[in-house]
This record gives sequence, structure tokens and C-alpha cells, in this order.
Amino acid sequence: MSALGKTAARLPKISFWRTIVALIFAAGAYALYARFALGFQASTHLTDPQPWGLWVGLGTLCGVGLSAGGFAIAASVYLLGFERYRPILRTSVLISFLGYSTVCVGMLYELGLPWRIWHPIVMWNRHSVLFEVSWCVMLYTTVLALEFSPALVEKIPWAGLREFYLRWHHSILIALVLVGTLLSSMHQSFLGGLYLITKGRLDPLWYTPYLTTLFYLSAIPAGLAVTIMAIFLCVRSLNVRVNMNILSDVSRVIAPLLAIYGILRAVDLVNRGATQYLWMWREETGLFWLEIALLVVAPLVLLNLEKVRNTPQLLYWTCALIVMGFMTNRLNVSITALQASSGIYYTPKWTEFAASLATITAAVVAFRFAVIYLDILPKNPPQQQRAMVLTAPAHA
Amino acid sequence: MANTAAILVDITKCIGCRSCEQACKQLHGFPMTSEPKLSPTALTVVEDHSEEHSDRFVRRMCMHCQDPACASACLVGALKKTPAGPVTYDGSKCIGCRYCLVACPFSVPRYEWTKLVPFVKKCDLCAARIAKSQPPACVEACPVQASIYGNRDAILEEAQRRILNDPKYVKHIYGSEEAGGTSVFFISDVPFEKLGFAAPPNQPLPLLTASALGDGPTVILVGGAMLSGLYWITQRRALVAQAEAREKSLKERN
Repeated sequence: MSALGKTAARLPKISFWRTIVALIFAAGAYALYARFALGFQASTHLTDPQPWGLWVGLGTLCGVGLSAGGFAIAASVYLLGFERYRPILRTSVLISFLGYSTVCVGMLYELGLPWRIWHPIVMWNRHSVLFEVSWCVMLYTTVLALEFSPALVEKIPWAGLREFYLRWHHSILIALVLVGTLLSSMHQSFLGGLYLITKGRLDPLWYTPYLTTLFYLSAIPAGLAVTIMAIFLCVRSLNVRVNMNILSDVSRVIAPLLAIYGILRAVDLVNRGATQYLWMWREETGLFWLEIALLVVAPLVLLNLEKVRNTPQLLYWTCALIVMGFMTNRLNVSITALQASSGIYYTPKWTEFAASLATITAAVVAFRFAVIYLDILPKNPPQQQRAMVLTAPAHA
Repeated sequence: MANTAAILVDITKCIGCRSCEQACKQLHGFPMTSEPKLSPTALTVVEDHSEEHSDRFVRRMCMHCQDPACASACLVGALKKTPAGPVTYDGSKCIGCRYCLVACPFSVPRYEWTKLVPFVKKCDLCAARIAKSQPPACVEACPVQASIYGNRDAILEEAQRRILNDPKYVKHIYGSEEAGGTSVFFISDVPFEKLGFAAPPNQPLPLLTASALGDGPTVILVGGAMLSGLYWITQRRALVAQAEAREKSLKERN
């Protein structure tokens, strides 16, 4: 092999996805510069009537909600004894951990004075929903880091240290999972609680005293859907071995959760006498139906089909619908359903998209490396290497 | 809160001279150019409604709610309702989350979007002047007493007296019920909704989130007990299954 060929072999190959990732990171780098060197006005379309935009709607509300899979699976395995989900436990905890890390990084973009992000630790306002959310997210991210830590620690070459840590970890694990479940339940609902104060301004199709309950109930199926999607992608492109029946099992849990959510939504609308808004010709109503179609109706119809539940590819796309429906819901509550009362029309600046996309992409890349280099999912024996080993003696 | 500060703005008396705007800007050292809307450099503005409603001007400023939504929203407690009446902002605590802007039913707080180290800006009812028994700068500057300042009870009484004695007034004191009551009141001869006044719920807005927050401890206690119980059952089941398996294997061996 020539010297040039050797250098080329060491450089990463230019593939379609690598190009995309590189472009996203380049755009993200500019967004980073715009946000921290030029400020909000240069990097966002945020204004006084629209003080929270894409970074809160997508970064925080969707980010936290879609990371709910970790607590749901951990609670099922450790507290409820559903051992059949154990093979996907680490994956779901990893997704949640990376999800929450993304949210924390997003917070730095979002806060006007990000270097004061620690203030809520010492400056308390117990009457603030956001205070409770910030504490729960802080504590739960720590819990997730601890829950996930064995995957890293078991790679430590010193057996004594490794065993010591893993024994300690084993002794606190149940407590961790229990605390994690409570913290998750609290802040998943409190994220909806943030909008209780917007009474009279948030559109009646969304404003309800049960925003908390609805946020909680929708986060669990959405988080599970993300877990299914991630595992499907791992199997397809990262050479891991997972019994696909588990995915179908998880989907069997998603369907009733979505049904309960849909029924609650309907009962609440009727109870509040808000049904008149369901048939009005306005943007909000259109977005409401889009959300219901993607998050409730389409997935329920699809998951009812035996073929969809048992075909990983179809299950993947059904989960994609759920995730899109979930995101529509969170963006509706945080942005579109508030626009009529604020009197302005907000569309995020491209740097807002770039910053969010780059942070999410970083998490996806980190997830990929973790699955490749750590023991997250059982791997298939590497085909090529085995072939080389087998042929080696023949040469000798 | 018997002895708290309050302002009454009588819209029928305002001549639109903008002396209040100017006094406010001067006090804060802002550029003296008049602005159409509240901004980080205009904490009170006089909105011109003279075209739709003959010679009516509406002054906007922080309403200084009795139980402010912004103060309940602020996670670090930078915003506070002081016993003297003003809702004040402590910039040294603020982290810039802007939940106060989301929470305010009157859309009052402004953010310094153009700055690299941005803070929230809003009227503080001249808390420093009030502490020295001086009236707020805007009230002092008003040449026609369209804005008057005083003790909240006395101010409310005066507003009541005016709207009862003169049939031209709309029979409502704006701020007496809005968002559970404020410390800045408006009386007018043109219906408030026609002058662009917000219509927030007539209840202290922090109550809306307090009920949800109140559920927190219950969730922890009940949820914690339930989850521990479920874990105990799971554990117990596993033990029983183990014991049964052991017995079975013993029997088989015999």
C-alpha cells in the first residue's frame, strides 16, 4: 500500500450521513457563535410577546418528554419485575441520559445569563413551578448518570476499583430507580404546569387545569416510542442483536397509554365546554387535529394491526408518527396556541434550528459511539474479523 | 396590606403630554426619545388612542399586582411584591429564563434582547423614592393630576367616588379585580377593552400553579409508597419462585 493510500485509510470515509452531520455541526458552530458572541437578537427571533421559542418548545419540552423512556423501562424492570424488558434497559437509560444532557446544554443557549445556571441551587422560590422543574431535572440527570455509570465503570481495567464501585452501585440501585421514577413523574407533569399561569391566553383547546396530568401521560408513550426507534436503528446499522419481540411488547404498552391519553383529552374538552373550538376554521384548530391525528388516532389504528406490531420496520414508522405528534403537541402549547393572544407571529430564526439540531445530533453521535464501544446491547460476532482468524492458519 | 402604595390613572384627564414618560426616562437615565410601546428603555408609555376615541391617551406601566404572577413564576425569587406595594426586580439573582414575561397577564416585563448581558426591565413604582416618602416620578411630573398617588385604600375610595359621582365613567375600576387586584388602577369613559386593556382572570394567578405544586408532596408520598409496595411484591414473588424451584429440585433428587 502506498503512503498516500495509508493516510487515506486512516481518514474517515466521506459518506452521506457523515456529510450531513458535518454540515449540521458547521451550522451549529455558527449558531453557537451568534448566540454567545452576538446575543439573542442576532441568533433568535424572540421578542417580548414571544419570550420562549424553539429552544424551550423543542429543546426543553420535547427533549425532556422524549427522554421519558428511561424511567418507564427502569421502573418496569426493577420495581414491577417485568424482566422481559431487561435487554433494552441500558439502551433506554442511555437515551434518557443523553436526552437530559442535551436539555441541560440547551439551557445554556436558552438562559439570558447562562453562567448563573447554578442560582436555583441556592436561591429558592418554592412557589415557582420552574423552580421545581429545575431541581427535578438537575437531580434526575444525576440519577440517570448514576444509573448509566456501570456501563462505563465496567470498562475500568483495575478489577478492585471496578468491583468496589459496582457493589456500591448495586446496593443503591433500587433506591435510585425509585427516586428517579418519582422525580420524573413530578417534572414531566410540572412542565405542563408551567403553562397553568397562562390562563386566558393559552388557546382553550389546550388550556386545562389537567395540563400536568396530560403532559405526564403523553410523555411515557412518546419516550417508549423513541426507545423503540433507537433500538430498531441500532439493529439495522450497528450490528447488534435484539429480540424484536421486545419491541412489539413495548408497543403493546404504548397503545393503551395513548388511548387513555386520548380519552382524557376528549373528556376534558367536553367538561370545560371547549368543544365549540373543535370545528372552527382557524390555524389553532388545524394544528390541534394534526396533533390528535399523529399522536392518538393514527398510532392507535396502526398499533391495532397485528402486522404493524410484528414488523419492526412498520413499528418504527408508527413510533415516528407518535414522536411527531408529541412534538406537535409540545410546540402547540409552547408556541402556536399562545400566538393569538400575544398578537405576533413567531417563526424561529435559522440559527435557532441550527443550535437545536446540532445539540441533538451531538447526542445521536454520542449514542452511536456508546453502543459501539460500550456493552449497551449484545453485539453480533464481527463477521470480517472471524473470517480473518479462520483463514489465518491456512496461510501459515 | 393596609398601608401600601397605589396609583390611580384617570384616563378622562390625561392630555397626552408625555411628562410622565419623560420623568421616568430622566430618572433612569434612558435616552429621552419617546417610544410607542413599553421597552427596556421605556418603563411607562402614553399610548395614543385619540383617533379612535376623541383625545384619549392610555398610560401603560407595571400594574404591581397584589399577588403577582411574575413573582410566583421567578424560580430564583428575583421578583418580589414588597410590603410597601411595589413589585421589585433584583437583577443580581436573575438567570434570564424569562418565565416572568410568559407569566405576566398584562405583558409588562421587557427583556434586553439586544444586549449580551441581558436583564428584565420593568417599572418598580419608584420603590426607592417611595421609601423616602416621595411619590413616583411619573405621578409627580403629571401637570393635570391624571395620575394620582397615595395609600391603596384611599386611592380605591377616590376612584369609587369619581365613577359614582360622574355618569360619564365606565362603572368599573380597572385593576380592582383583574388578576386578583393590582396597585395601579385605571378609570375611563371609554370601555377598557376598546382601549387595548388585557382581560386577565379575576383571581390571583399564582393560585393556578399553587394547586399543581401542592400536589407535589402527595405525589412523592403516595407514589413513593406505591412504588415501594410494588417493589416489595416483585421481590417477594422472585423469592417465592426461587424457593419453589429449590423444593422442586430437592423432591426430584429424592
